[in-house]
Amino acid sequence: MTVLDRPEVAVERAGGTAGALPGVPKKNRTDLYLAGGLTALCLVLLAWNITGFPMASDDEGTYLAQAWAVAHGKGLAHYTYWYDHPPLAWIQLAGLSWLPALVFPTLLSVAGGRLAMLPVEAVTLLLVYVICKRLGMRRWAAALGLLTFGLSPLALTMNRQIYLDSFAVMWMLAALTLALSPRRHLWHYAAAGGAAAIAVLSKETMVITLPAVLVAMWQKAARSTTRPWAFGAFASGLALVGIFYPLYALLRGELFPGDGHVSLIGAWQFQLMSRSGSGSVFDEASGSGALIDSWLYYDSVILFGGLAATAVALFVRKLRAPGVAGLVLALVAIRPGGYLPAMYVVQVLPFFAILIAGVTEFGVDKLRPARVWWRWTILGVAVVTALGFVVPHWYVGDRRALVANDNAPYQEAADYLRTRLPDRAGTTLVVDDVLWLDAVRAGYTRDNVIWFYKLDLDTAVAARLANGWRDVDYIVSTPALRQDPNSLPTVAKLLTNSTVVASFGPGSGPVEIRRVDKENP
Amino acid sequence: MILVSLVLAGFAAVTLWWTMHAWRTPETLASTRFAAPDGEHKLTFSLLVPARHEQAVLEHTVERLLLSTHAGFEIIIIVGHDDPETAEVAMRVAATSPGRIFVVTDHSEQKNKPRALNAALPYCRGDVVGVFDAEDQVDPELLAHVDHAFRATGADVVQGGVQLINFHSSWYSLHNCLEYFFWFRSRLHLHARKGFIPLGGNTVFVRTETLREANGWDGTCLAEDCDLGVRLSSRGKRVAVAYDSAVVTREETPGSVTALLKQRTRWNQGFLQVYRKGEWRKLPGFGQRLLARYTLTGPFLQAFSGVVIPIGIAIAIWARLPVGVALLTFVPVMPMVANLVFQVVGLRDFGEQFDLRIRWHHYARLIIGAFPYALVLAVAALRAVWREYTGKRNWELTAHVGAHLTKPAVAESGVAA
Repeated sequence: MTVLDRPEVAVERAGGTAGALPGVPKKNRTDLYLAGGLTALCLVLLAWNITGFPMASDDEGTYLAQAWAVAHGKGLAHYTYWYDHPPLAWIQLAGLSWLPALVFPTLLSVAGGRLAMLPVEAVTLLLVYVICKRLGMRRWAAALGLLTFGLSPLALTMNRQIYLDSFAVMWMLAALTLALSPRRHLWHYAAAGGAAAIAVLSKETMVITLPAVLVAMWQKAARSTTRPWAFGAFASGLALVGIFYPLYALLRGELFPGDGHVSLIGAWQFQLMSRSGSGSVFDEASGSGALIDSWLYYDSVILFGGLAATAVALFVRKLRAPGVAGLVLALVAIRPGGYLPAMYVVQVLPFFAILIAGVTEFGVDKLRPARVWWRWTILGVAVVTALGFVVPHWYVGDRRALVANDNAPYQEAADYLRTRLPDRAGTTLVVDDVLWLDAVRAGYTRDNVIWFYKLDLDTAVAARLANGWRDVDYIVSTPALRQDPNSLPTVAKLLTNSTVVASFGPGSGPVEIRRVDKENP
Repeated sequence: MILVSLVLAGFAAVTLWWTMHAWRTPETLASTRFAAPDGEHKLTFSLLVPARHEQAVLEHTVERLLLSTHAGFEIIIIVGHDDPETAEVAMRVAATSPGRIFVVTDHSEQKNKPRALNAALPYCRGDVVGVFDAEDQVDPELLAHVDHAFRATGADVVQGGVQLINFHSSWYSLHNCLEYFFWFRSRLHLHARKGFIPLGGNTVFVRTETLREANGWDGTCLAEDCDLGVRLSSRGKRVAVAYDSAVVTREETPGSVTALLKQRTRWNQGFLQVYRKGEWRKLPGFGQRLLARYTLTGPFLQAFSGVVIPIGIAIAIWARLPVGVALLTFVPVMPMVANLVFQVVGLRDFGEQFDLRIRWHHYARLIIGAFPYALVLAVAALRAVWREYTGKRNWELTAHVGAHLTKPAVAESGVAA
């Protein structure tokens, strides 16, 4: 019964169910200090030499340039936005990336932009801990989960980079955290739906982990009187936040495909049907195979450990939610003939870390070492073996991340573009997306700085160059630009009809500033 | 446009938040139930049943009241001196149970429910006065629950649940039933907790001395129930609200859209009167006064937003507004659609609790009928404002035909006022 003048806590107690009571401060702050301290440690490792390693990728530059376009009111992208990805991640990035750009104006844009990822990773690390706790793990296991995610060299490499997936996975973990809310509050479920929608609108592929959130909710709300309401709330949050993206397209008249304009549905058709697969992960020669190899090169422990943990977790009730996420992510990665994006693993890592921690705790519990010496021995041997295997492996990987300087050539090229070329406002420049924003910030006219990719693929860009490739003054040749010369004829033509004026970096993969020889036939 | 959107969104969100109060957590839901009665009957009840041109349903109602398992209660039927048909039925029923049923005749010039209730108040001998309408279907266990609730909580007022049941009768009755469901199941509990409560018109129980101290009901008010709640709240009386689908009082929806419109107009006008009367200003807490202000003007805001939001969307789509502004006009749709989603869940829950079979076409009707129903509410709100400011304050009675009763014999047509 609800009675006037009865304090909330008393009424909740009258309900008779144990649970976290609202408004009662937790006396024990160990979790806060532990998770906060470990997160700070991981953040230091993440931030140390973040500008030097790994090498800036074209994708990072693209997302940063799109964030720049949003922040400067130039639409949703620096070129025509064609619904390739939902825009929410770089809208969030726009809210973060202006600060490093302001503080370090001469730093390579992508390198500085990476600092904006630190708060995102901090939240993700904390969420990993909270999820572990809410799944019912003990403190040491939750800490293990956080450290696995924070110290894995693969995570350390990927989490430094500016990827939409980092935003998406943060929001999906937030959704999972809310779905596991101990109070089972209706609005937590609605918020979980909203967070899941934001995750999907940050990176559409994140949608495949949605079943994990549903499983978590289903388990958490089990035998509770409010389960149908909880799912109603979740569905409302998910649909009502998610609807804004198609709505945006509809209001702009870009929902359905048609002549002369981009469209949301057209982009989906391309992504789902026309995009060529990257081969099988089991075929070493394929794109997917090479990608998996590169992930394994950085860290095989978290990937194999995570896969093994997923297999176990599916049979442990309290680990089923992250287990489902791990399973779906693994199945999608190995599906035959699909396209596997380079940053896909970013979505996988936190779930694998949670699973490894959960299954480790499960194993320890099964062993029940209390008071029996030989059980303690087994546990001790297992721990020493695991550490003996993991620590040297991770030490090498993490050390590389802390000392390597892979971005020196890009940085020098950016400095050169900013200081050495005359008449910047009147110069037409073809660059990759890493340097695009640096060039625009250095004073080149925005329309005259051309992302090489768009030369051959964007008719509006081609139309700006009345005399074709001869209207270009300089091209900055980078490994990313040289990667696929056959599919981009104009780029190939520029590379053959140009001379190196400055070259940075090693002979194998230099960054070259090339002047275009317009007199060539 | 932007401002209107944000205000509407805020209003819709708050309403949604409050409507869903009971289902926030499993603990909250558990706390809204009647505690199980202990079997002791310590209080005595005077049950008031005002009847006006309701001879068709009165007898059945009183017969059901007599089935009550509680030991100590009397039934006082109140009839008007100008209504011989109902008086005749009342007398006949009273004769079947002398000493238990009494008939009081209301001689006031202008007849309405609060005046009828006031006419009976001096004759009440019980510790507690309970009010029922002539068409109510009261559960025999209810009084035992209420008896226990009074003693367990030390409350001055106990409000039990009322539920419209005949959701299948017409397109609007489905919405009407769900409105009651959400109001009694959820929203009233929030009011009880916050200490400001507009009471319902029946299944409301007040300690007799409290009622006498408050001088009974306001005979000039069109929403005497709401007014009484506000006055008792501002005097700091304790109100307990409890809902249990097993002992809920069953009612029927108005028989036609016109009847619904009249009933809603009366309520809205009553709320407006209570608001203008200003008794709520005496509430001790600022939050309570804000809640009072909000609740009493709520029907008008709700009616307004129910109509304006869809129109805003139509404008946004057809008028080619800038995309940003157009997107903003969709923000109020979020709580509105969420509300509809919860209504769908609510309909399912409603069906489960009352053992009713909900079919797919009921869900379809729920969704399709949402906007027309909002229109009806909006018209009623406008009508209420119009009547209040042109001084039309007479009582438009809702006619009852007994559609919620299960026996076909009593489903004969009643005579409207």
